[in-house]
Amino acid sequence: MSLLNKLFAAAALVVTMAGLPMGAQANEGPTLDKAPLRFDDASLQQGAKLFVNYCLSCHGASSVRYNTLTQIGLSEQQIKDNLMFAADKTGEQMMVALRRDDARKWFGVAPPDLSVIARARASEAGSGADWLYTYLRQFYRDDSRPTGWNNALFPGVGMPHVLWSLQGEQEARFVTRDDGHGNMVKQLEGLELVKPGSLTKDEYDEQVADLVSFLTWMGEPGQETRRSMGWFVLAVLSVLAVLSYLLKRAYWKDVH
Amino acid sequence: MSCCKIVTEKAQQVLGWVDERFPLTSTYKNHLAEYYAPKNFNFWYFFGSLALLVLVIQIVTGIFLVMHYKPDASLNAAGVPVAFASVEYIMRDVAGGKFIRYMHSTGASMFFIVVYLHMFRGLLYGSYRKPRELIWLFGMAIFLCLMAEAFFGYLLPWGQMSFWGAQVIVNLFEAIPVIGPDLSIFIRGDFVVSDATLNRFFAFHVIAIPLVLLGLVTAHLIALHEVGSNNPDGVEIKKYKDANGIPLDGIPFHPYYTVKDIFGVTIFLIVFAIIIFFAPEGGGYFLEFNNFFPADALKTPPHIAPVWYFTPFYSMLRATTSDFLPYLWAFVTLVAGLTAWSVRNVWVRRLCLVLVVGVYWGFFGLTVLGKTKPLFDFAILGIHIGRGFDAKFWGVVMMGGSVLLFALLPWLDRSPVKSIRYKGGLFKTILTLFVVSFVLLGFLGTKAPGYAFFGLIPGGPVAAVSTILYLAFFGLMPWYSRLDKTKPEPERVTSK
Amino acid sequence: MSDNKQDASGGEACCACSLDPSRRALLAATAGVGAVVGIGAATPFVTSFMPSERAKAAGAPVEVDLSKLKAGEMMTVEWQGKPVWIVRRTPEMLAALKKNDAALADPASERAEQPEYVKGEARAIKDEYFVCLGVCTHLGCSPNPKFAMGAESGMGEAWNGGFLCPCHGSQFDLAGRVFKAMPAPTNLKIPPHVYLSDTRLRIGEDTKGA
Repeated sequence: MSLLNKLFAAAALVVTMAGLPMGAQANEGPTLDKAPLRFDDASLQQGAKLFVNYCLSCHGASSVRYNTLTQIGLSEQQIKDNLMFAADKTGEQMMVALRRDDARKWFGVAPPDLSVIARARASEAGSGADWLYTYLRQFYRDDSRPTGWNNALFPGVGMPHVLWSLQGEQEARFVTRDDGHGNMVKQLEGLELVKPGSLTKDEYDEQVADLVSFLTWMGEPGQETRRSMGWFVLAVLSVLAVLSYLLKRAYWKDVH
Repeated sequence: MSCCKIVTEKAQQVLGWVDERFPLTSTYKNHLAEYYAPKNFNFWYFFGSLALLVLVIQIVTGIFLVMHYKPDASLNAAGVPVAFASVEYIMRDVAGGKFIRYMHSTGASMFFIVVYLHMFRGLLYGSYRKPRELIWLFGMAIFLCLMAEAFFGYLLPWGQMSFWGAQVIVNLFEAIPVIGPDLSIFIRGDFVVSDATLNRFFAFHVIAIPLVLLGLVTAHLIALHEVGSNNPDGVEIKKYKDANGIPLDGIPFHPYYTVKDIFGVTIFLIVFAIIIFFAPEGGGYFLEFNNFFPADALKTPPHIAPVWYFTPFYSMLRATTSDFLPYLWAFVTLVAGLTAWSVRNVWVRRLCLVLVVGVYWGFFGLTVLGKTKPLFDFAILGIHIGRGFDAKFWGVVMMGGSVLLFALLPWLDRSPVKSIRYKGGLFKTILTLFVVSFVLLGFLGTKAPGYAFFGLIPGGPVAAVSTILYLAFFGLMPWYSRLDKTKPEPERVTSK
Repeated sequence: MSDNKQDASGGEACCACSLDPSRRALLAATAGVGAVVGIGAATPFVTSFMPSERAKAAGAPVEVDLSKLKAGEMMTVEWQGKPVWIVRRTPEMLAALKKNDAALADPASERAEQPEYVKGEARAIKDEYFVCLGVCTHLGCSPNPKFAMGAESGMGEAWNGGFLCPCHGSQFDLAGRVFKAMPAPTNLKIPPHVYLSDTRLRIGEDTKGA
């Protein structure tokens, strides 16, 4: 009977613990490229530069204050001189200069705030960083779109390819396939670089990786500190666990 | 020693002064120092005190979150809803705020983990049986409050999952015939989930439900300390007492179980800390990814599912389609038939007959006669019922009923023994099936409706079978618990 | 079986001294580490009461243009949500400061909260511009300016210009120094400030750097 008890215990633990990784099985959805994230100051600073130069003109990051960037090794003066175009105090939030109504007119939707975009884009298919890394590298020319751009990961995207001068222009290769029900459907097979940008493919991927690393960092500044603090907390709690176990045993030696 | 004596004497005087005015010492004795608990508690007995700990964590973190959170659905200067932005404000601008928020969001999930394990303990050792029926009922009320509390609280971050989750659940009330549509508007205070909804949910989450919850927890504990704790052997320790009236197999709760529970608490805190510091999103189960998008009334996320702790019940709602109803009615008929057969009371028998006939006409009126012209006059009643109550309604009944079934356990279990230790293979098998079906239902509830295990076994039928198994655990308990070949209970508790 | 449990519960435990030594040591150790954990757990709750980044950003140093301020006038700017006065004092106002000394509680500002660089009776970097926190040191009201001198001020013949707090009547001179026998205990506070140029002033910080 105690064996069965243990079985029940195991079953209950499965409910609570092992159920979680099972969720990682993806049944459908696009495959994402793994983002090579780097959280060193140099990469994050490069990402921050790309972010304020290319993203911040349309997207806000209204939960992030400029002086938060001191956490990635920048001084207030550096932030002021190199990264602040739309604000004058480092305590201000990264607001967008673009008016929302104008944006809605131009792109159909107001560009979303990017403060937590790396957390929001996570799914069973991969982390939010993986999604962003894939997305930013899969724009292609599509004249049927109002912006002239489309995206393999996000079909019908409202945003034009902002980094095109770096990546160059890609074109999509389509194949027509039978969908199994006798209908011929056009499927995207791959992207081809037709006009090179100012960067090589590897250089571009690296820049995007920096940008995505920055967006991930921005999703929760101080996440690295949180994790390193965690080890310390666990160490103290483990000591407490051992002591309280010994204490329990010391008291329970009277109970027979 | 003498200094010790003086201090003790002074303390006694103060205590005496208080005791004449407030039952401090007697309360301490009744509930801690001279509350005799069975000495054979095992692992499963940690979860009651842990539930109390999580309640305290939730209340304390909640109070501090309320100091910074703003229940406001309007957009701020950056076009982000104020409520959503205020959560990020807590996460970034408030010193220590992110830990308070993570404690609260993790605490919500931990609450359900702990409470589910606590309830499972009750199933294992028959803790709901006489004389503990009221403890169990108070516990069920706590569970319902907890679900309401979690539901109301989940709207507050005002993300996409908050919004659409509330939208779906409130729309369940539309299934109620006649008043449903108006009722759901009444609950929201608007035609969609809106600022009005957010504010009333906030009020319920921070004040109304916690007050009720605290009252129920107190009642749960008072009832427990009145009858005394059950134990893994399911035998009453009060049967054998020494000359002083102290149960022979009892030990004072303090210090024995206080030190033991402190150890349990430290293990819990380690798990809690691992989640908070290393995986606060809990893999997307504790903080759902889509909830990092602000609420948008015009765009439903591709896949919405309730938070994991609701999914077993949500799955049963989803499984209740018009295709599934015949199986459900067959099951109801079986239970009603068994009841009519085994209960001698003529009124119970008539009630069962009415139930079966009513259910059949209700169902067939919908599916068979509803499509053709009514053949018999009395079928019109059936059609009426069938049209009034569609599968959506039965789904809602199923979801509510599946929670409420737990409350009937004290009267369903007819086994001569309480504890799983002395129950037979039949009960153990059915309990295992119940746990498996509960886990499967919970897992499927987190998935999109078309989910298939390994891409092969479709989730729909699995959910349907699991639903029937879930119902069978309760519905057939009066019979299988009696058929079960039990072992004799010992007179006194056994040591491990 | 469980007969000796009485030893544990029945003995009249008075305090820690009656515990067995091994338990006592363990109890102390557990309580000690437990206290560390408790302090750690309390930390985020305590720090959450401090001004948030938003409050700090709103309370960041402010820059003021002094070029429009006329002699004998006062302007008020907001810093950390509090009024900061800038009075451009005339030579007569400055000359009158000395006359107050005998009637003041702390003429040399020895007890006043002020930066090192504002010494002397004028309490300013540049005597002409008096910068001070417009918050009464009694209970936090904001005093009113009474710049007229003599009887026309309504403050009596000997009044040389200054401030009067409406709440409890504390009087200050034009260097924010409190008169004797007033409810306010000390002179008005002077916030850190620095001149970025002749007419640009930064309040809240005394270094020129960002």
